[in-house]
Amino acid sequence: MKKIIIIAKKEFLDLLRDKRTLVRMILIPLLVFPVIINLVTMVQSSAAEKEAAKEVNVGYVLNGQSSDMIDNLAMIPNYNFYEFSDSTVLQDEILGDSVTVGLHFASNFDNDYSAGKTPELALFYEGVNQEDLSKVKYLLTMQDSLYTDMRMKSIDKDYGFIEPFSIVNRDIGDDNELIAKYAGGMLPYFFLAFCFMGCMIPAIDMFAGEKERGTIETLLTTPVKRLQIVFGKMIVITTFGLLSASLALLGLYFSLNFMGGEDELMKTIKGMLSPGLIGTLYILLVPLAIFFAGIMIPVSVYSRSFKEAQSILTPLNILVVLPAIFGFLPGVELDYTTAFIPILNVVLACKSLIGGHPDMILIGITFFSLIILAGLSVFISVKQFGKEGNVLR
Amino acid sequence: MIKVENLVKEFKLSKKQQKENNTSEKVAKAVNGVSFECQAGRIFSLLGPNGAGKTTTLRMISTIVKPTSGSIIVDGIDVIKEPQDARAKIGFLTGSTGLYERLTPNEVLKYFADLNDMDKATFEKRRDYYYDLLDMHDFKSKKIGQMSTGMKQKVSITRTMIHDPNVVVFDEPTSGLDVITAENIIKLINDCKKEGKTVIFSSHIMSEVDLLCDDLAIINKGKLLYSGTMEDFRSNMQTDTLTGEFIRIVNEN
Repeated sequence: MKKIIIIAKKEFLDLLRDKRTLVRMILIPLLVFPVIINLVTMVQSSAAEKEAAKEVNVGYVLNGQSSDMIDNLAMIPNYNFYEFSDSTVLQDEILGDSVTVGLHFASNFDNDYSAGKTPELALFYEGVNQEDLSKVKYLLTMQDSLYTDMRMKSIDKDYGFIEPFSIVNRDIGDDNELIAKYAGGMLPYFFLAFCFMGCMIPAIDMFAGEKERGTIETLLTTPVKRLQIVFGKMIVITTFGLLSASLALLGLYFSLNFMGGEDELMKTIKGMLSPGLIGTLYILLVPLAIFFAGIMIPVSVYSRSFKEAQSILTPLNILVVLPAIFGFLPGVELDYTTAFIPILNVVLACKSLIGGHPDMILIGITFFSLIILAGLSVFISVKQFGKEGNVLR
Repeated sequence: MIKVENLVKEFKLSKKQQKENNTSEKVAKAVNGVSFECQAGRIFSLLGPNGAGKTTTLRMISTIVKPTSGSIIVDGIDVIKEPQDARAKIGFLTGSTGLYERLTPNEVLKYFADLNDMDKATFEKRRDYYYDLLDMHDFKSKKIGQMSTGMKQKVSITRTMIHDPNVVVFDEPTSGLDVITAENIIKLINDCKKEGKTVIFSSHIMSEVDLLCDDLAIINKGKLLYSGTMEDFRSNMQTDTLTGEFIRIVNEN
């Protein structure tokens, strides 16, 4: 154990003096969430301000009908109404973008309305102007209610006369369940990704890097077992993986509490980050980080140089992304099959925790399956490091 | 003392390597039945052209590579059965030995002292001895990556000798070094001899061998072609120069 600690201590010291390590494993994870959240908040508030201040230009063709409705609508701020002689001119103006939505009253609109019929009000628009269209449609819905009310009053009836019953929505479900279903996989994924990236640089530097720099031979001539060398280095790789994930979490915590404000996105993320989730995530991340180290070490041991190892390991990011993407899908849950699929099982376990209905047996199976995988990957790493063909390649 | 008997090292050949070497053999014998003895207080040189098997032999002695068959005894310890104990007796240095560039000499030496289970007092005494001997005080706290080749070589020498090994293995130690830096290595090898250590070094530079060694072995294509004292070698020479004699032995076999 003493030799393992000596090796681990030296590797920590060595790596913490490497600028590349500090930037990729400490600075980026720490800053990524504050930067993203700051950007999202800025873009969101700026977009909301722009949207609120934006004026909608609406064209209309009265076709000889009364302008009562237009007069009503024109009183609403941020809407400009322009009259056109016929629908062809109106359509040209819409295509020319001087107005975005057009209203065309049918030639018998007033008569039909008075006669209790349903006259036509045509709406012209370009599909790309959906936002303006929605705003105008909303205004027209209000007018529709107003006109219905007026018509009911003219026959001495209440509005309720044409509404035999009203539907009242009452969602009695837990908000967290909804969050878990649609977004529960995202949060743990970020930490898994940082854990993976945090493991990568040390794994490459401590094996392929040592080979490239010619220090591995010297280390192999000291009275230390190869197993001890692998264990010492593995402690450092795993720690850096967990450190990266922790710094990302710290960055997220800082962003949520000091930068994010109180908008819906921030509230949703805050709702997910319970102490139980963080605790479970860490319990599962430890064997997973060892597993990551265990798949990176054989590649790094085999590679001749830092660059070669990096070129092999970087595409392995897909190994993390793919199972995690399956975990994002609604309906994919932690069960007796998925609990054995690494990465996916961690994402799903966290999802079930966010949803508030975790199955502790399945989470236990997840943990033990990760422990077995971690053990297996350590065994393979030691075997590969023991092969002189790899080490001296 | 180092005792090597019938040492064989086979490497598996991939299909690509078989094609490149124009052979159908699935294994290549890098070392084929080599035997020799290196005595304490004497300098033994392993000579041979490039690819002769010198580095593989020295790597087997240093336990980096396992022999396919044969035996190696280092300072009374069977290298194959007890590699870890053997390593504690060995100091290993090559011309291409790398150092941890982000650490200082103080840190590198402490690391290797700890790996060799040295106590603090002995370590500090040995470290300061080499700092004085090689005039290293000015750069002992400087990061190795910022040092000159000569400074780095001094750190490598101290790293090799810090645990006071009885057996010192040098694999082409002066290869790629300038004359002044190489001189430090030559001095180290002579100092080891004076201290009664067993020294084995590989080279293909005859002037270096002539200057340093007491005993020598010549190997080529993994086979031992000559083994004896330098004195016998000189007295039985069939050519005028040591280099000429070395080439003659290699070519005749």
